[in-house]
Amino acid sequence: MDSFVNNFKKSTSTWEDQSLLDNFVNFDPVKEFSLPTFDIPSCLNPIEFLKAHTDENSTTECRIKLEHGTTTLSFKFQGGIIVAADSRASSGSYIASQTVKKIIEINPYLLGTMAGGAADCSFWERELGRRCRLYELRNKERISVAAASKLLANMVYAYKGMGLSMGTMVTGWDKTGPNLFYVDSDGTRLKGDLFSVGSGSTFAYGVLDSGFDYELSAPEAIELGRRSIYQATFRDAASGGSINVYHVKQDGWEFIGNYDVGDLHWEYQDQPKPSLIGDVPMFNIQS
Amino acid sequence: MNPVSLYDIDSLTISPVEAPVERQFYPYADNGGTSLAIAGADYCLVASDTRQSSGYSISSRYSPKAFKLTEKAVLATNGFFADGLALTKRLGQKLEWYKHAHDKEMSTRALAQMLSNTLYYKRFFPYYVFNLLGGIDEQGRGVVYSYDPVGSYEPEMYRAGGSAASLVQPFLDNQVGLKNQQGAQRTPLPLDTAIRIAKDAFTSATERDIYTGDYLEIFVIRQEGVTTERIDLKKD
Amino acid sequence: MTTRLEQPKGGFNFDNYQRNVFLEQKGITLPKMTKTGTTIVGLIYKDGVCLGADTRATAGPIVADKNCEKIHYLAPNIHCCGAGTAADTEYTTALISSQLELHRLTTGRKSRVATALIMLKQMLFRYQGHIGAALVLGGYDINGPCLYTIHPHGSTDKLPYVTMGSGSLAAMSVFESRWRKDLERQEAIDLVKDAIESGIFNDLGSGSNVDVTVIEKDKVDVYRNYAKPNERGQKEQSYKFNRGTTAILKESIKDLVIITEGIEEMDIS
Repeated sequence: MDSFVNNFKKSTSTWEDQSLLDNFVNFDPVKEFSLPTFDIPSCLNPIEFLKAHTDENSTTECRIKLEHGTTTLSFKFQGGIIVAADSRASSGSYIASQTVKKIIEINPYLLGTMAGGAADCSFWERELGRRCRLYELRNKERISVAAASKLLANMVYAYKGMGLSMGTMVTGWDKTGPNLFYVDSDGTRLKGDLFSVGSGSTFAYGVLDSGFDYELSAPEAIELGRRSIYQATFRDAASGGSINVYHVKQDGWEFIGNYDVGDLHWEYQDQPKPSLIGDVPMFNIQS
Repeated sequence: MNPVSLYDIDSLTISPVEAPVERQFYPYADNGGTSLAIAGADYCLVASDTRQSSGYSISSRYSPKAFKLTEKAVLATNGFFADGLALTKRLGQKLEWYKHAHDKEMSTRALAQMLSNTLYYKRFFPYYVFNLLGGIDEQGRGVVYSYDPVGSYEPEMYRAGGSAASLVQPFLDNQVGLKNQQGAQRTPLPLDTAIRIAKDAFTSATERDIYTGDYLEIFVIRQEGVTTERIDLKKD
Repeated sequence: MTTRLEQPKGGFNFDNYQRNVFLEQKGITLPKMTKTGTTIVGLIYKDGVCLGADTRATAGPIVADKNCEKIHYLAPNIHCCGAGTAADTEYTTALISSQLELHRLTTGRKSRVATALIMLKQMLFRYQGHIGAALVLGGYDINGPCLYTIHPHGSTDKLPYVTMGSGSLAAMSVFESRWRKDLERQEAIDLVKDAIESGIFNDLGSGSNVDVTVIEKDKVDVYRNYAKPNERGQKEQSYKFNRGTTAILKESIKDLVIITEGIEEMDIS
């Protein structure tokens, strides 16, 4: 009976008081750290609504232009994994930025790459970072790359068909050694040795496949990654800016450098062209 | 034969519209306007014009779209004014809660991340706003964060946003970023030069962009606080 | 038999019309045409007609020309303000102007405003509104001062005071409150100026300066930039680049004059 009365006692407090209490007293960590919640437009078909306002080909008057266009790559070799990406963000024909960090440092042992919607990639990979940290605290050991990439794949799979757009590579070094996974917003998750993602990926693959060898030395591998992205920025209008290169090693990733493609262009132009026959090396490594 | 029978009485009562008319939920508008932010060594400058327009008409000649959020950060919103206002109010409330919970003002870096999350939580019903957040960080250095409508953001040294962004950004790239200038001296940009560049950027944008004009409001954020200056722009 | 490609003799060419319609359906947008956003006005006063126009031309949200001319010459006693697609207003008025000139040479009489009106409206009607010209036609002929508006589809109005273009509502509000019969010349010019300025300041499609043309019996006065209410202020600083700012990728110097030593003997063969 008392509890019944108490129920009503509580309701005499004003709405503001109640919400004040909600925020401070009834702090619920489970609720707080569960999946993020999103606002949905209150119309018959929210997905069609979003499409009408964000689609490239939509004719709606004030289209919300999301940033797109990219070349990213990463590949395994004897010395670990090389991750490289360009830094251009374009919305329509406008270059929104030339300084995007498309290689996301999830934590000191994990890297993620960004292709597709910039906001989608950075938000979900940040969320992934949080979950990986929670995993570490709960299990007293680091998460495997396989598990981390699966966390990401499962998270975005829950929103399949809602218009998320991301093509990402999750890389890192765990108990099993260097690992490389491709995850995208359709729900695809692939383990592999070599990937390139984005509008300029075909160009990058061309260079990458022709110059790839598992036994490459670290400087050679770095140069291969850099050159592949450079050639992609040369032919793909939606890729450009500068190239970021990372090297994943046993004790975590290392940032190799940032190279402006404008400067690289003149540098490469002065070098002898790689020859398919003869002894001229495919890539000129300058130390 | 009865002439009345020639008419199909039913067809006269049916609405002449045969195909279903599609109505769309259209909650967005573009209210024009331009903003710009430049970060210096110990200051940050945020400037935006105050014209608010819809179509070919001016809704208001003085409707500021840059707002002081904290003592160390100013937010400039471009695009749909109502969404910008709603977003600013929401951020203001969150900042208030933060102040009461932690007994301190939120840092600009944290504010930048919070703004990104706030935008992304409306990923499926975006705020139609292109934000520029200018402020100073914990070390007192100027910083500019620029956003897309769903929260993709990055820190920068200078940025233009809004209807004349494509006119102003190349100018800033050249004059602030010193792009395409061989042998230019990379010295820290003094505040008075930054203000002059901002003014010239806006008077020039007013010349060529019909949605930019009326007044220019310049916020300067320093360790000591935020100051505001208002300048006339052309009104045609 | 050989087929020859015929050179078009003039007039409109519709070769790519269907292709463009098809491309538009595919979502390809056509290049933006320069519009004259525009406020144009005209009124009749005691002894003539006064025409006015702003001078802004726009391509979408961008100002394409800050000081263009929108009051076109049709005949010595007839002028015409144009709003809409810039090219259409220019070419339509030029075409009719040429036909009027020939008409004057054949008939040996002064052109009448009604003649120009009929020629313009018949041409615009024939093209069913695809020629995007909205005109204010004014002149002085045997019937005294005449003023008309012509819409892109060919319909016309004959009124004592008219406005056209995106700033027409702003300008008309000035006319409606202040126009009266038998205005004096200077009063008419001031009223036209105020009407155009109302368009310049309140309509985003109009801007910059005021052009005025006054047509009276045997007298036409063209006031180009009658008022300049929007002069650009001084810039804050100079943006002159230092010598050597532009990168040099290659340098080669060639002597264009070849100097040969000694005297050559003249060829006298």
